[in-house]
Amino acid sequence: MRRCSRLTDSLLAITLAVAACCCSLLATGTARAADLPLHQRIDTLIEARHQGPASELTTDAEFLRRASLDLLGRIPRADEVREFLADRSAEKRAQAIDRLLASPEHPARMADFLHVMLMERQGDAPEWRKYLADSVAANKPWDKMVRDMIHADPADESVRGAAFFFTKRLENYGQNPVDVPGMVRDVGRLFLGVDVQCAQCHDHLFVKDYTQDYYQGLFAFVGQAQIRRDLKFPALAEAPLKKKVEFTSVFVKEPRAIGPKLPGGKEFDVPEMKPDEQFQVPPDRKTNFPGVPRFSTLKLLAEQLPTAENRAFARNMVNRLWWFAMGRGLVHPLDLHHSENPPSHPELLDLLAAEFTAHHFDVRWLLGELTRTRAYQRSSRIPEGVAADSVPEDSYRTALEKPLSSEQWTASVAEAAGVAARERQSVEAWEKLRERFAKAFANPPKEPETEFAPSVKAALFLMNDPVVLGWFQPANGNLAERLAGIPESERAVDELYLAVLSRTPDADERLEAVQMLAKHADKRSAALGRLAWALLTSTEFSVNH
Amino acid sequence: MELAQLKSLEADPQLVSARFSPCGKFLLGASYDARVRRWDIASEDWTEKPAIDGHGGWVTALAFASSGERLFSGDSWGQLRCSNYAAADKPAALWQVAAAHDGWLRDIAVSPDGARIATCGIDKRIRVWSAADGAKQLDFALGDGPLFAPRNGSLDGDAACLRFTPDGKTLIVADLKGQVELWELDGLKRGRKFDAGVLFKYDRLQDVGGVRCLATDAGFQWLAVGGTIPKNGGSVTGVPTALVFDFATGELKHTLSFGQTNDCYVSDLAFHPRGFLVATTCGTPGSGQLIVQKPGDKDPLFATKKMVNCQSLALHPDGERLAIVATNAGSNGNGRPLTKDGAYVTNKSPVVIWKLPA
Amino acid sequence: MTSPHLCRPWEHAWSRRRFLGTAATAAAVVGSGGLGSGGSSLNGNGSAGLGPWLNPAIAGQVEQKRKQVVFIWLDGGMSQLESWDPKPGTLFGGPFRAIPTSVPGVHVSELLPKSARQMHHLAVVRSICTKDNSHSAGVARIQRGDPKNRGVTYPYFGSAVANLLGPGPTNLPPYVWIKPGSGGFIHQDAGFLGPKFGALAFGDGKPPENMLRPEMLSDADDDERNALRAAANRRYANRRRPTVNDASSYVYDTARTLMKRQDLFDTSKFDPKDVERYGTHELGRHMLQARKMLEAGVTFVKVNSYGWDTHGDNFNGHLSLACRFDQPFAALIEDLAAREMLDHTLVIAMSEFGRTPRINGHVGRDHWPEAWSVAMAGCGLKRGAVIGETNDVGTWVKSREFDIGHLFHTWFRCLGIDSKKVEYDNKGQPLPLAHDDCEVIQEVIA
Repeated sequence: MRRCSRLTDSLLAITLAVAACCCSLLATGTARAADLPLHQRIDTLIEARHQGPASELTTDAEFLRRASLDLLGRIPRADEVREFLADRSAEKRAQAIDRLLASPEHPARMADFLHVMLMERQGDAPEWRKYLADSVAANKPWDKMVRDMIHADPADESVRGAAFFFTKRLENYGQNPVDVPGMVRDVGRLFLGVDVQCAQCHDHLFVKDYTQDYYQGLFAFVGQAQIRRDLKFPALAEAPLKKKVEFTSVFVKEPRAIGPKLPGGKEFDVPEMKPDEQFQVPPDRKTNFPGVPRFSTLKLLAEQLPTAENRAFARNMVNRLWWFAMGRGLVHPLDLHHSENPPSHPELLDLLAAEFTAHHFDVRWLLGELTRTRAYQRSSRIPEGVAADSVPEDSYRTALEKPLSSEQWTASVAEAAGVAARERQSVEAWEKLRERFAKAFANPPKEPETEFAPSVKAALFLMNDPVVLGWFQPANGNLAERLAGIPESERAVDELYLAVLSRTPDADERLEAVQMLAKHADKRSAALGRLAWALLTSTEFSVNH
Repeated sequence: MELAQLKSLEADPQLVSARFSPCGKFLLGASYDARVRRWDIASEDWTEKPAIDGHGGWVTALAFASSGERLFSGDSWGQLRCSNYAAADKPAALWQVAAAHDGWLRDIAVSPDGARIATCGIDKRIRVWSAADGAKQLDFALGDGPLFAPRNGSLDGDAACLRFTPDGKTLIVADLKGQVELWELDGLKRGRKFDAGVLFKYDRLQDVGGVRCLATDAGFQWLAVGGTIPKNGGSVTGVPTALVFDFATGELKHTLSFGQTNDCYVSDLAFHPRGFLVATTCGTPGSGQLIVQKPGDKDPLFATKKMVNCQSLALHPDGERLAIVATNAGSNGNGRPLTKDGAYVTNKSPVVIWKLPA
Repeated sequence: MTSPHLCRPWEHAWSRRRFLGTAATAAAVVGSGGLGSGGSSLNGNGSAGLGPWLNPAIAGQVEQKRKQVVFIWLDGGMSQLESWDPKPGTLFGGPFRAIPTSVPGVHVSELLPKSARQMHHLAVVRSICTKDNSHSAGVARIQRGDPKNRGVTYPYFGSAVANLLGPGPTNLPPYVWIKPGSGGFIHQDAGFLGPKFGALAFGDGKPPENMLRPEMLSDADDDERNALRAAANRRYANRRRPTVNDASSYVYDTARTLMKRQDLFDTSKFDPKDVERYGTHELGRHMLQARKMLEAGVTFVKVNSYGWDTHGDNFNGHLSLACRFDQPFAALIEDLAAREMLDHTLVIAMSEFGRTPRINGHVGRDHWPEAWSVAMAGCGLKRGAVIGETNDVGTWVKSREFDIGHLFHTWFRCLGIDSKKVEYDNKGQPLPLAHDDCEVIQEVIA
């Protein structure tokens, strides 16, 4: 048991089954738990808590679709599916994961994911997108990225776009003034998994952990941030923090003051300085240069927040990546980490955080491990003979259906229709297309996209949008044209299923489709278009199942 | 030019406007509490005399007979009243018309010979009365819209300001849609138009702006109208603006901007006998100016922001004194402002007297 | 009362633990129950096809006649003193007069002459006292009924009614919102009920985007492709949690129903006499369209008018605004009464707060949640009633104060729902429909 001590104390609470497992491993001497690959340790911890049968693993086709959507942001192409199904290698899933993670499409997908997670559709800027794309392509560790976002050197072209995270939040929002509490809240939510909103004015009433200094201490870090008006790209200025932030609880009317302090962390002093000492580089009114304060709280935050010592930092990100892969956070909702909303699998969250930290906050590595798990690779079908409502979401006995982002929709519909390569030829045209889809599929600004939220708007879009419908008319080697060239209906139907649903049809499906085509023998192409549309708008296509 | 502050009164509740009597001995204030307040400015301490009672709603218009000590006052419930403003005790009505208009009477004009007065109201009618006894002489509408039921976003014919021309035969009528036109009273013929349409905007469901005040110089060379170039309704913002027309041709000669969008309205205008315009502005609480400017000049001769939310200005017949009806600071009512004793009180109108240099 | 705080003490009287414990272990059920059939089986049911939609707990409580709601939102804050609670000739009364109404002894502002003639249908509560005096928080807070904080976002009244009563036999969206400006699908209104109970907003009364089917697709083709989609979904549903598939199917059903009702948006086909009666201005058009929507069977219609935040020039402002509310409001009441729809249609006209008695230097009135009025009609409310009163100068409520929670309980009562018994089921977490400390305003119930 001592060998397990690398896991934190909470491990002691888990079931004997795990202990037995560890011990048996020790006994045989083949491996120590800590030496096993992370994905195996994850499955051990997850399955130890199963209370009932788990779903079988997905079919190969389902696996490829799931992993492609997650890691490339699109469904697999028909030929990719065919190739994968034909692959007889026992290791083909692991190999596929490595291939997908190494694909040039993977960084683009992760940049989209991070953009939506971090900006919540509040806005976009070319510098920011470039920063995300470059960082993900280089697999920049998460702590470094967060450091860039908090305190990027405007002189360093390779990181300065990261400042957009704050500068966008420092702009007026429509007719509303700058929402500083919202910005403080986002730092807490997105980087630490704590929503400090209610702690602005008093200790949180039903989240005991969230005391008022959770908000005020974070505010002391970022409350001085301003937009630099003297530069053409997003950049942050900072006013000197001259004294502690003063606040009063609305309940206990005694005034308090606090210096910069991370939630649950130590408070930093605010050094006293004479007015002429406050700036390291003084402001210059002529050039609008805002100056550089000697005591920079943003610099301090960049040094203190994205660190191994700050447990909340790693725990937040692994929880978000768990959600990314599994469709639900170990702590759920994602931004309510506190003692009364414990993780469904505390020992697992500890393990993931520890390993993520030990691997220098390597997101790509963690995604590789998560996607290798059985938990990830289970079918979304409830086990045979089991009632759907008896399988809790957070048991991971059955995979959860994950929503598709607007970006996943765009790429997948284009892929299914066989027009992706053509549509992607012009970067601008592709961006416009993504915007067209975003109008139908994206949430409004500031609404996190974490739940499955189908809408009538999106349904109307897919039913009637001329661009989308046009893709299903034969032209330029698209799917419709390809199908028109296959005279045998059965083969055409197989090809259609492969292209749209990334699998072959079962016998019933094939028969039904063939009969339908026979009914419309004179207008076969249009009938195939309707069939394709029906599959495209089916629930099966609409989620990552 | 430097103006000096002479004196200040305070009216509670607020005043709609103030005017000096032609005899120069009284300052009259049209009050939110249905009174016409009277200050004897010949006395050393500007003793307040018993107010004129008998009105309803707000007193909204004051005008004086050209001779005799008679005041014509109108209110927001439609009453027109003639009183002796100089009476030692509470003045009784010399005559009154209880329903001169159906609702808010917006302005009163007195003919140069003093025989007739004209009134306009939100019933969209213009009426002419005998100044001697209040007998109705003329009654006409500018538009055909029914009361409170504007069509297609218009408030056609909702006249806000009236003046007689020097011959007494024609009325200058300015309305809340920014239309200014002449009406010959004999035969009721429309005459020259002055386009002040920039002072109006239909925003969402709201008619915003329109002509709010009107002044002519002594020789009738200029016709000036004041209001705002509206940005939006609701809270109402816009740039306070005075348009100065060549009266003889109707041509717009000068557009005078008196501030930013939150300064909103030119609330009152007067031509000084020496040819310059005096204007007050009033916008979001805390804004407001007194401005003295020649129509053709780019910059004002004098401007002060010492008073906020100036509602009205009165020029003394001696040409040397001005009375400005302003508002107390902090007049915004958000957040339930209470006094120390927990009372909820009205805003007030400081009335500030300024001396013009000779 | 101005507070910079994001939340208030009274929002916190509930321990989060009580439900998080539940939610963590319960199986996920999005929204309320009863959506299983996705609206496709809303027929052949004695209670007007309500069965599958109703929260089972209230199925027995709702009367036979289908209840509907029209909710007129005057955004920014209508002045109670220039509308339902005039105080002419008093310190803060402003310039306007009061006029008699069709109910002897009851007076309203002269700015509502047409509504005054419909007063015998109306129930006006003059003793509303709410908590929030900022628009940014107030609009949502009022429309969500300002319940005690349970750590969840409560639905707007429209979403609540959509959830509790469903779309009815027409399968039109249960909650539509006719508003100036842009339209769209406003799912934020739904709060914890889930996106499908959000509002379908018709910007400037126009249909949403992509409402027209391309000409190349015939009716039969469209039916066929949707039948194929439904068949695919039936297969997919096998051995899967039902929530995702149900919700996904539902949005297509609703979209298809909407596409069949283009007539609701074609203002050129509206009766010119009606257009004249309701007014050719924006709010008139939208209120007439609201009547059409009610006639078509939409459960909850919200109509928005913006620009009532008259901090400046309040009196000229209300002269413009109030009459453009008065005309269509009176016409709507008259029409609903004439069609005997008022018996089962709840009409509500309100803002996020009233306006200050004190008149500011911009001759405006500011925000006043302390003492204001709400006008309502129909659906079991008293007719020709005025409930509650403010003091002589209109500054404070003199009778018992009613908060928005009282109104919510009252409205639910009108809809046949006992809000003290029925609860929402938020993934296993029971949640009251309205503020626990408030109750029905009995005085206004017929």
